[in-house]
Order: sequence, then structure tokens, then C-alpha cells
Amino acid sequence: MTPQNLLVLPLSTPKLSIGCPILDGCMGGGIPCNSITELVGESGSGKTQVCLQLTIRAQLPPSHGGLGGSSLYIHTEFSFPIRRLQQLANHYQASHANLIGLNPLEDIYVHAIHDAQQMVHVLRDIEAFMGIGHTRLPVKLIVIDSIAALFGSQYDRTPADLKRRSEMFFKISGKLKALANKFGVAVVLTNQVVDVIGPADGIDGVRLGNLECLHTSARRVSPALGLAWAHCVNSRVFLSRHEESVGVNSPYAHSTSIPSQTQRRLNVVFAPHLAPASSQFVITKEGVVGVSTVIG
Amino acid sequence: MEVGRLPISASQRGKLISAGYTTLASLSSLSPSDLARDLKIPESEAFEILKVASHDCRLDQPDKSNGIFAGAQTAWEMLHEEQSFPRITTSCADLDNILGGGINCKEVTEIGGVPGIGKTQLGIQLSVNVQIPVDFGGLGGKAVYIDTEGSFMVERALQIAEASVVDMSHYNELLRKELRTCQVEIQPTDILKNIFYFRICSYTEQIALINHLDKFILEHKDVKIVIIDSVTFHFRQDFEDLALRTRLLGGMALKLMNLANKYNLAVVIFNQVTTKHKEGSFQLSLALGDSWSHCCTNRVILYWNGDERNAHIDKSPSLKSASAPFSVTRKGIRNSASNHKRIKLM
Repeated sequence: MTPQNLLVLPLSTPKLSIGCPILDGCMGGGIPCNSITELVGESGSGKTQVCLQLTIRAQLPPSHGGLGGSSLYIHTEFSFPIRRLQQLANHYQASHANLIGLNPLEDIYVHAIHDAQQMVHVLRDIEAFMGIGHTRLPVKLIVIDSIAALFGSQYDRTPADLKRRSEMFFKISGKLKALANKFGVAVVLTNQVVDVIGPADGIDGVRLGNLECLHTSARRVSPALGLAWAHCVNSRVFLSRHEESVGVNSPYAHSTSIPSQTQRRLNVVFAPHLAPASSQFVITKEGVVGVSTVIG
Repeated sequence: MEVGRLPISASQRGKLISAGYTTLASLSSLSPSDLARDLKIPESEAFEILKVASHDCRLDQPDKSNGIFAGAQTAWEMLHEEQSFPRITTSCADLDNILGGGINCKEVTEIGGVPGIGKTQLGIQLSVNVQIPVDFGGLGGKAVYIDTEGSFMVERALQIAEASVVDMSHYNELLRKELRTCQVEIQPTDILKNIFYFRICSYTEQIALINHLDKFILEHKDVKIVIIDSVTFHFRQDFEDLALRTRLLGGMALKLMNLANKYNLAVVIFNQVTTKHKEGSFQLSLALGDSWSHCCTNRVILYWNGDERNAHIDKSPSLKSASAPFSVTRKGIRNSASNHKRIKLM
């Protein structure tokens, strides 16, 4: 048993750039390898958009913020958004023609999973798949979208079942971290939010990280799966959205036609290498892009 | 009777026995004046008797202890030893205060807290601070960092190491010229070299490593702190045989305690927290809590108090139950910003 040499250059963990200097700035360069990063947000907050973008960007060479690798995309709820991925792939193929393969979709492996037990089995298969290394590019990114859906109906709210559920958290997280460490991959998980009702320091409102409480769409929320799951991820990023009304509504218009704009924010909730940071972003045809807010 | 074989006169022997001194141990930390008073003999005679007794003692036990058992110490000796060893600072004066000066060697300290409170930050800070040279009031030692969760990021350790070197140079400049010690020679990359980093990915690896630590530290005697971050992660999975888990945890706890004692180093184990319902209200408590209670000397819980990070001494035989605020900055663990104005420069 020998200790690892900390001075193996470069003195920095390899990171997968999200694609925009503002967002990368919040994240200290991007999504780190050998670590589990969790994206938390309500439906429509942009989690899947970020994940799709990451699977394509992973194929860029490290000199351009990528990992020079292929991705594994495990989806658990809705059907895979293939058309959006195609749109992003076309954009990247056009703008980075000599850096990315002719068909970026060929380097993204998609798999559907329905429950936690199946996840455990699939992780073993993934290890074998990555070990054999028959892919054109080595797998460098694993995305699970979303982790919350794996822990649905088969667990009741009884103490025994909750205990079984949290044991499963640690089992899956342990296996994912071992994979991340063995192959030097980045792992990104998405998680949903649940509403928090009640006093701020009740069981659901335990403060974890930089934000006193998380707000999205004018609701007070908390990441799903509770405190036990929070111990299973290395970094947590919260994507929030708010509808902001813009402009003045004319007296002749119905109240329903108040124009509104979606304001999106990316917040670092906790990460072992990051200071608290937050940034606004938008979702465009070309992907997720940070917006710099000029303080007047 | 041991006293019987001392080369002293029969009358002296008789007086010793009738006064109740039958073994050499009973004479070991006696002063000549006390013995003279008890035996009603002149002090010089008492001094001679004690000299002969301690000489005889030393013949039996060539090591420096003068107790009945090899390795036994008097409490006085223990106090001296404890006071002579500097503690490892956390870089936060308030936190050091409630810890009685810092993390102590020969002890196992358990520190638990919610994700994001700064456990890994504190671990990295301690593995840097154990290296503070003796001239600056530190231990000049090395660190073993056992990472079970993958939270240790090299660039963060480098950042904290750089800040530590800057602080030491700054401290050096503040001293009057006469007192200024040698230039700070240690470099941030040297600091990283002195952290023996182990990444483990399963509970079997964890147990194997802790078993191996004895041999490792024998070969690296300058290791003065062993940090395990976190000790519980791999044990919160399902264990088909719960009795096995209890045995494994107990065995680990014992080994860590022995390690701390044998090599006179500090062991810091980081723990996670769970919520417990007590009397209708919820409370944060350390995960697998009771398994560690018999091995840890001190237990500290880190928690949020509004917008401020706090540390609370949960259990300790010598420290009083107290809380202190601290903060996590770019430079590492530091005093809480609200107390900034009251900090005195060293």
C-alpha cells in the first residue's frame, strides 16, 4: 500500500468545461473528474440541457476544455431527448469541425434504467464495458438523469424502508466513486427538488452548504432524497428559475398577457474546491450560456 | 518482599516495613523529607535509602519508567509530557481555544458535520498545519490523509499550502529583528509532498489500510497526524451481517486508538451526520454514533448557526462543552469574519 504522489502534474484535477467562461468561472474550470457532481433543480430548470451539452463537449480535446472522451448517458424517466441532442451536435460539429468527430452522437452511449436494483447491476456491466475499452474514445463522462427517479415507488416512508433506501444510496454512490477513481471519469447526476413546508430548521430544512434555503419559481425547495443522499455527492449545484414580469401591462390587456421572462441561475451549493458562487444563464439554440450581470 | 532484598541495615528494613513501605514502587516517588518523617530517621539516612531503592529499581527495569509495570507512568509525568507537546492548530483562534489549544496528539478526535460545512477543508488545513516548523511553534511533522469519499482536491490543498507559507513569512516579518527566525524555507510543493495521500474505495480497502498503518508509520516516524475523511462512508451500505459490521468498526476503533498512543500522534476521524427524532424535535447526531464513542477522546460537531459556521464540543473528558465560530476562506480555515476586529496579531 503506497500513498499517491500528490505532485503528479498538472497540479489540478482535469475538468470538463461547461462551455462558457462565466459558468466555468463559477465552477473553478468546469465539472471535475474523479468526483460526483450533482445538478439539482425543478423540472425545466435546465439540468438535462446542461447534461446534453456536457456529453458533446466531453469529446473535445483537453486543450479546448474537453476530456477527449466519450460519454455514457443513463436516463431514468422520460424518453431520451434525441432531437435536442442532434441539434447541439450539429452546432458543435459546425463550429469545431476539426476537433470533434464527424458524428458526435456515435460517441454517446445511452441506456435506460428503471430502479435502483437495476442500477447496481448495470454499474457492474459498466465497469466491464469501460475496462475492455473497445470504444473509439475512452469513456470520460457518466451522466445519470435523474437519480431521484430510481428511488420511487418501491420505498415507503417507514423507518425500515428509509434505512434500506439510504443504504442503497451509499452502495450506488460508493460504486460510482470507485468507477470515477479507477477510470478518471467525471460523474454528473441530476436530482429533483421537493417543496419544504414548515419551520426553517425542521428535518427537511437542514441547511447544507452556501445557501440558507433554495428558492425556485417562488417556492422554497430542498433537493430530493434527503440528508443521507447529500453525503453521497462531492459537489452540489442548484439550478433555479424564476418568472420575472417585464414591461408594464397596458390597461387594455388582460392580466394573463403580462409578458414575463425566465430568469435562470446556477448556484454552487457546496463543493470541496469552490468558493460560494452563482451566475445567471440562458438556454439558447446553441446550448447553455452564462450571462454576466453588470452591477449598476 | 522487595524491600527485603535492599542492601540496607536490618533496623532500617524493620522501620520501612512497619511504616507500610513493603514494595519498591511505594518508594518510587517519595521525597526524602517525607520518608524521614514517617520513619523518624534523619533526612540524610532517608535519602540514602531512597537512592539505593531507585538504583535497585533501575536494575530491574532498564527503561526509564520507575513504576511497577514496564511503561507505567505517574500522572505527573503524563502531565509534563502532554504540556511539552505542542498541539496542532486549526488556524482559527476561536476553534483552537475550545479545543484547548488545538488538536492534541495521543488522542482520537472525531469531527462530524453536514455536507458542505467544511470537514474536508479542516482536514486539509490540519494536514498542512502539522508541518509548521518547530521554530514557528508547530510540530514539523508529516500527515497521512485517508480519503474515502474523493473530496480531496489537490488544487485546494495547494491553495491552502500557499496561504500557509504566506502567513508564516508574514509572521516572520512581524517579529522584531532580533527574534526573527530563519527564513521560511518550506515551499507549497514541499508541503504537498509531506502529505501521504491514500484513496480508498471500499470498506475492505479501508480496514486493510488501517491495519497497515502501524508498519507505515514505523517507516515514517515523522508522521504526526492521521486524518480519515470520512470514516463512515463505506460502512453505511447494507451489511448482510450486522454483527460483522460492529466487529469491524470496533476493531478499527481499537487500532486507531493504539496508533495514537503508540506513536504519539493525533488521529482525526471525520464523520457524517444523520437526523434523530428526540422528544418531538429533530437533532443532528453523528452517523454510526455509538460505535465510536469508546475510542474517541473528543467529539466535535460542526453546524450552521444562521450564516455562520460553528463548532461544538460534544463530548470530551477535559474540555468544557463550548461552541466557537469559524469560517472557510480562500486561504483555508480562519476565524469567523464577525470576530475579525478582535483578533490580535501574534
